[in-house]
Formats: sequence, structure tokens, C-alpha cells
Amino acid sequence: MSLAPPETDDDLYDRLRSGDETAFLTLYRRRQGAIYRFAVHMSGSASQAEDVTQEVFLALLRDECGYDPSRGTLSGYLFGIARKLLLRHLERTRSDVPLETDNEESVIAELAVDDSPLEDLTHREGIESLRRAIRTLPRRYREVVVLCDLEEVDYADAAGVLGCPIGTVRSRLHRARALLLDKLNQERHSKPSVSTLKPLRCVV
Amino acid sequence: MNCQEFWESNPEMHMEGGGAQHGAGGTDSAQHAAECQSCAAQLRRHQALKGGLRTMAAQLRHLEAPARVEAGLLAAYRTQKRVMTGRARRHWWVPVFSWAATAAALIAVAVLLLNPSQPPSPARRPVPGSVELASAGAPDFDANASAETDDDFIPLPNAENLDPDEEVNVVRMEVPRSTMMAVGLPVSADRVSELVEADVMVGADGVARAIRFVDE
Repeated sequence: MSLAPPETDDDLYDRLRSGDETAFLTLYRRRQGAIYRFAVHMSGSASQAEDVTQEVFLALLRDECGYDPSRGTLSGYLFGIARKLLLRHLERTRSDVPLETDNEESVIAELAVDDSPLEDLTHREGIESLRRAIRTLPRRYREVVVLCDLEEVDYADAAGVLGCPIGTVRSRLHRARALLLDKLNQERHSKPSVSTLKPLRCVV
Repeated sequence: MNCQEFWESNPEMHMEGGGAQHGAGGTDSAQHAAECQSCAAQLRRHQALKGGLRTMAAQLRHLEAPARVEAGLLAAYRTQKRVMTGRARRHWWVPVFSWAATAAALIAVAVLLLNPSQPPSPARRPVPGSVELASAGAPDFDANASAETDDDFIPLPNAENLDPDEEVNVVRMEVPRSTMMAVGLPVSADRVSELVEADVMVGADGVARAIRFVDE
């Protein structure tokens, strides 16, 4: 007995446009998590991520939502709307912390000569460091890391979302990873190890 | 393979999974990594980062929008569906009504053109009664008839029939000349926005039943 393949996003989209509430819910439940997480990573605010998620799916309900299957996937379309909403918000609030490096190649060059091993990033502390590092990445690098590395969006879709060629996605991702390694390395060097801490008083 | 070629060949892809190699590019990359300690160290750092990102992605997978977002969207969807259904319902009768109105206007124009012997209506009719509002008996006309009655009152489209004994009021008022079009009378396009005096016959229920134009 073979299971029926799950409906594609486009099938669900067609059905929701014709008034099928179940199709709308299925599509929403399938895609809302990724959109919400993308918004959380990009804005750093759960409440704003909530608003963005709501706006994205409301846009999908509009008569002239502008989704065209021949131009990309529905998932890419939803990420694209989320990104536009977030950019609009960032322009309004200017809350983004820019960390534009004038000479990013030099960072990569430095990394090339730094042979020191990284601590295991799969541990809790390592993950926290990684999260902080991602949060301080410049927006254009942060979004490509979140899309491609965290949400596993393929490069073609990411290119559609970001409105740039696939080659640009690749190079941004490469630079983003180099910047992340640099930040993690800096944090590791600035953090005193437990062995170097001296207790002031023994309370036991 | 030199260092530049090593990184351009996407070594992370070839050497994932503890040095598993795929194809000729993988073999060359592995050979370079074995020979160049700097590239090997950097590759290990990239792989550690990738592992960290994967773990982080897996840990965040449970993070989802609160349930109230779904509830709000569902309410919006249902509202929109009602609106869409309403629009669909309206659609069937709008063209029917338009065609019916157009046909009625054409018939009225044709009747007027084919019947030139009809005496012209007086230029100005007396005001009904001493005041604007006057009571009168129901005139003898069939509200559904498209032709004018003896009193030159023209039944309004979709007006109900008047009972013979029904008390009616006749009110003189100014109406847009475009009202004449609604009852099938010809109006030149440049005068549509003008006002014209008319007597409107109002039934006991307060609903207008017929109209008579004072100045045509």
C-alpha cells in the first residue's frame, strides 16, 4: 500500500484561492515556522516576528498577491515578503546594528592563517556563541546564513528571495561563514578560561 | 591543486562526513588537505561551524508563531471568503439587470420614434393642489405597463401595483434629468446633470410608484 504524496504548496495555494479553508491551514502550518524563525533572526524580536508572519500570510490572501509560480516557489515568495517587511521596519527604526567591514577579504585572509581549532559548536555554550555571532552579522550576511544554513533554503530560492544571482548568494555565504568564524574566534580569545580565574574567598 | 583551487572546488562539499570523498574533485581536495596544514585546519573550522549551524537549526526547529497568529489569520480568511462569496452572488444579477435596463430604454425610444402623432406634453403642468403634498385617488394605471398613463404618469421600474382605492400622494420635486433615462425617456448627454421638475406619485406605504415630468 503506497501513501499518496503530500500536496505541493502550489496545489494548496490553488485550493485556498478557491475558498478551501483546510488548504489554507495546511499551507500555513507547513510554512509559518520558517517564516517566523527568519523574522526572529532578522529582527531579534518575537513580537515583530509575529507581526511579520501575520502580514506575510495576509498578503497571500489578497486578490492581487502577486505570486507567480513560474517565477519561483511559494516558499521563496513568502520569504521575499517577510524580508521586504523586515527591511521596511529596519528602515523605520534603524535598529539594525551595522557591522559593514570595508575590507572583508582581509578578514578571510586573517582566518586563513589562524589555525587554532574551534571549540565544539554543537554544545550548548557553543550554540549560544554562534547565536550571538549571527545576531551581530551585517544584515546581508545574516539573511543568507539564516536562509541557507538554518532554514536550508536552496541557493536558487535564496537568490530569488534576495533578488540577486546565485553566485552572489554563494559568495555572501562564504563571507558570512568567514565572519562568523572570526567572531567566534575573537570571543574565544577574549573569554578567560576557568583555570585562569582566581577565587577571592572560599565560602564553603 | 593549489590553495586557491582547493577553496574554489568547494572542499566542504567533497570532504563532508569525516573525509568522505566524491569524484575526482574530492580526491584532489583530500590530497591537498593532507599536504597543506593551513587549508586542512581552516577546513576543519568550516566543518565545525557547519556542524554548529546544523545543531542550532535542529534546536530551533520547534520555534513557531504563536497560536493567536493562526487564529487571526483564519478569521481574516473566513471574512474574505464571505466577501468573495457575496461578490459571486452579486455577479449573476448585475449583468442581467444591466441588459434589462438597456432593453427597456431601447424599447421606450423605439416607441417614441415610431409614434410621432402623439400630442406633445404641455410645457408646464400645474402644481398638484395648493401645497406640494396633495392627496389623490389612485389613478387608473397598471404599474407594470411601460407606456404612460392618461395622467402622463410613468410607472417606475419594479414599482408595485397600486390598489384602485389606495390613497396616494403626489409630490413635486426637482430630480436629476438622468431620472428620465431610468423610465426610458431620451436625454441628451450634455444635459444629464441638470435638474428637472417632476411630480412623483407616492403610495400609502411611502414608496414612489410613478413619475411625471413637468418640464421635459
